[in-house]
Amino acid sequence: MLLLSTAWRRLYLDRHANFLLGELRPTWSLRERRARVVDIIDESTDTKTFVLAPSRWPGHTAGQYVPVDLEIAGKRVRRCYSITSLPGDRRRVAITVKRVPGGRVSGFLHDHVRRGTIVTLGDPAGDFVLPERVPARLALVAGGSGITPILGMLRDLVDRAELTDVVVVYAVREDRAAFVDEFHHHAVDLPGLRVVVHAGAHLTAADLVARVPDLATREVYTCGPAPLMDLVAAAAGKPIHRERFVAAIPATRSANAPARVHLAIADRTVAIDGSGTLLEQLERAGERPAHGCRMGICNTCRCTKRSGVVEDLATGALSTEPDQEIRLCTSVARGDLELAL
Amino acid sequence: MTRTLTPAETAAFGAELDALRTRTLADLGQRDVDHIRKMIRLVGYTEVAGRALLHFGFGPLSFLVGTSALGLSKILENMEVGHNVMHGQYDWAGDPALDGKHYEWDTSCTGDDWRHSHNYEHHTFTNVLGKDRDIGYQFLRVSGEQRWQPHHLFQPVSAALLALLFQYGVGLHDLRLAESAAGKQSFAELRARASGFLKKAAWQFGRDYVAYPLLAGLNAPRVLVGNLLANAMRNVWSFAIIFCGHFPEGVSVFRTDLDGETRGEWYLRQLNGSANIEGGRAFHVASGHLSHQIEHHLFPDIPAARYPEMAPAVRAICERYGQSYNTGSFAKQLGSVARQIARFSLPNQGHRRSLLTTVQ
Repeated sequence: MLLLSTAWRRLYLDRHANFLLGELRPTWSLRERRARVVDIIDESTDTKTFVLAPSRWPGHTAGQYVPVDLEIAGKRVRRCYSITSLPGDRRRVAITVKRVPGGRVSGFLHDHVRRGTIVTLGDPAGDFVLPERVPARLALVAGGSGITPILGMLRDLVDRAELTDVVVVYAVREDRAAFVDEFHHHAVDLPGLRVVVHAGAHLTAADLVARVPDLATREVYTCGPAPLMDLVAAAAGKPIHRERFVAAIPATRSANAPARVHLAIADRTVAIDGSGTLLEQLERAGERPAHGCRMGICNTCRCTKRSGVVEDLATGALSTEPDQEIRLCTSVARGDLELAL
Repeated sequence: MTRTLTPAETAAFGAELDALRTRTLADLGQRDVDHIRKMIRLVGYTEVAGRALLHFGFGPLSFLVGTSALGLSKILENMEVGHNVMHGQYDWAGDPALDGKHYEWDTSCTGDDWRHSHNYEHHTFTNVLGKDRDIGYQFLRVSGEQRWQPHHLFQPVSAALLALLFQYGVGLHDLRLAESAAGKQSFAELRARASGFLKKAAWQFGRDYVAYPLLAGLNAPRVLVGNLLANAMRNVWSFAIIFCGHFPEGVSVFRTDLDGETRGEWYLRQLNGSANIEGGRAFHVASGHLSHQIEHHLFPDIPAARYPEMAPAVRAICERYGQSYNTGSFAKQLGSVARQIARFSLPNQGHRRSLLTTVQ
């Protein structure tokens, strides 16, 4: 009889070994990737770069982001931030964060995170990256905080000496924005780099074509507010590479409206319609999710909601953030969902 | 004495408890995770200290202190951390170390078996005859409503044995040995249910009684006896706390099919099916706050360390609705449990009804 079991792993590895490792060094863990904040750089009045020392790092590609878990008032929240450090450095990883007015997480990072704070990192991800063979002629167009993945790309190009003909367009509200000096500094040293800072009034497609007449002949990467990316596409007149920071906020539908639930592990999508809790709806659609008491007590039907909005009928609370735990037996869908089932 | 409530009163009673629940949930935050993490560290450090004293110490004093530290570690881990985390009381924190569905406690019973037999069966069907398998754990007669069988004559002895070997009793519970013996469960089903428990129990046994003693060299007998006593400490303590929560005089059992039970009726059943133990803060923590069994049964997924501050509000609501709130000192409740076990070892005599009342 093979004596190893799920219980063995959970008790001796996930708990005992993990506890001792964490006591020896707070960033050591068998279960997650933890990092210590080793430096905080003020890039401008509202933008800071956090230099992190992760216990281990799988490597990333310039332009990618990393999910960062922070604990605020005892609860973990997750946000994704662009990586602005060089892919070659596996000991130090930098994320750059602009304070969102009224933003709970960016505000917490700016006001409460200090050197020595421990954060948890997910896997670097995102396909807003340059291809392996870097296109000879590039246009990188950023608006506001959309500069961060572009900055990661530019630093990588400079470091690899593969910068041949690049135009960076940076639309900002004021010309004291973060990284303007760094771009100008690079532009002085590098003949292949031209920097266009557009400060003040909103950038228009006509402005863009005037400043970069050969835009249509370049490979275009853009990151920023949706209207900006739309006008870049219009000005280029061809498909471009976009990075969307804010997922389109799902419309909060009434509880009984039809919705689609994607079961990510089973890789099935079911349509739900009419009244009833998620558990009832899924069962009606022929699914057999694990459950127990059907009244919000035993926790058996708890699962991770990857995206979408649900309302917990027991508490009236709306769950809107990605990767939150919900109970199927007390929750109703308020729009399309993705569940880790 | 408990008053029978009208359906409207029952609904209002439930609504007041729901409001208390919502208020408390909204207030959960840093201090709750700080508390449970402090407990987890206390569990870790008392275990290391206890084992180190047993392994490297000599003489009776270090043996006594080492054994006590190890026993305390096991008690806190099983009761304040394991039982409560496995209820999902800290799921809202989003910390994988506090994840109720994956936490594995340090005892022979597997976390998954426990989540099924306790979180689901016991907390959903609390004290319903024929549905809650925790009423006397299928072999003790703790209510006059249970049919008397000759083996109940020996239950003072079997209860004492259960106290000493409680971790195995808990581990065996979800195997449904009684059902298999009665021919109601197939051997294949029993084997499937037993697999997880047997593996885990073997590891736990091997760790405490083989591996650690061997590692201790000449101190092997001392380590073996120390581990045995620490396990016994934990077993007897958790047995005592848990029996005081459901089996003293005045606790009700129910005959109902639960069809159409309302939220208010569910709360009433939980209240009347549980009993509290009075004590200080250290006592409550060492009992995993199961000394607040009533609050635990009303709010099983709220962090247990909140029960002491919720209790006055629960008690006030019960008073307003004329519901009795069963509480007493540890000695009183334990004495009451002992009397019940002795009384129900004999068949019901004449028309002397049990002190455990039945609600239709």
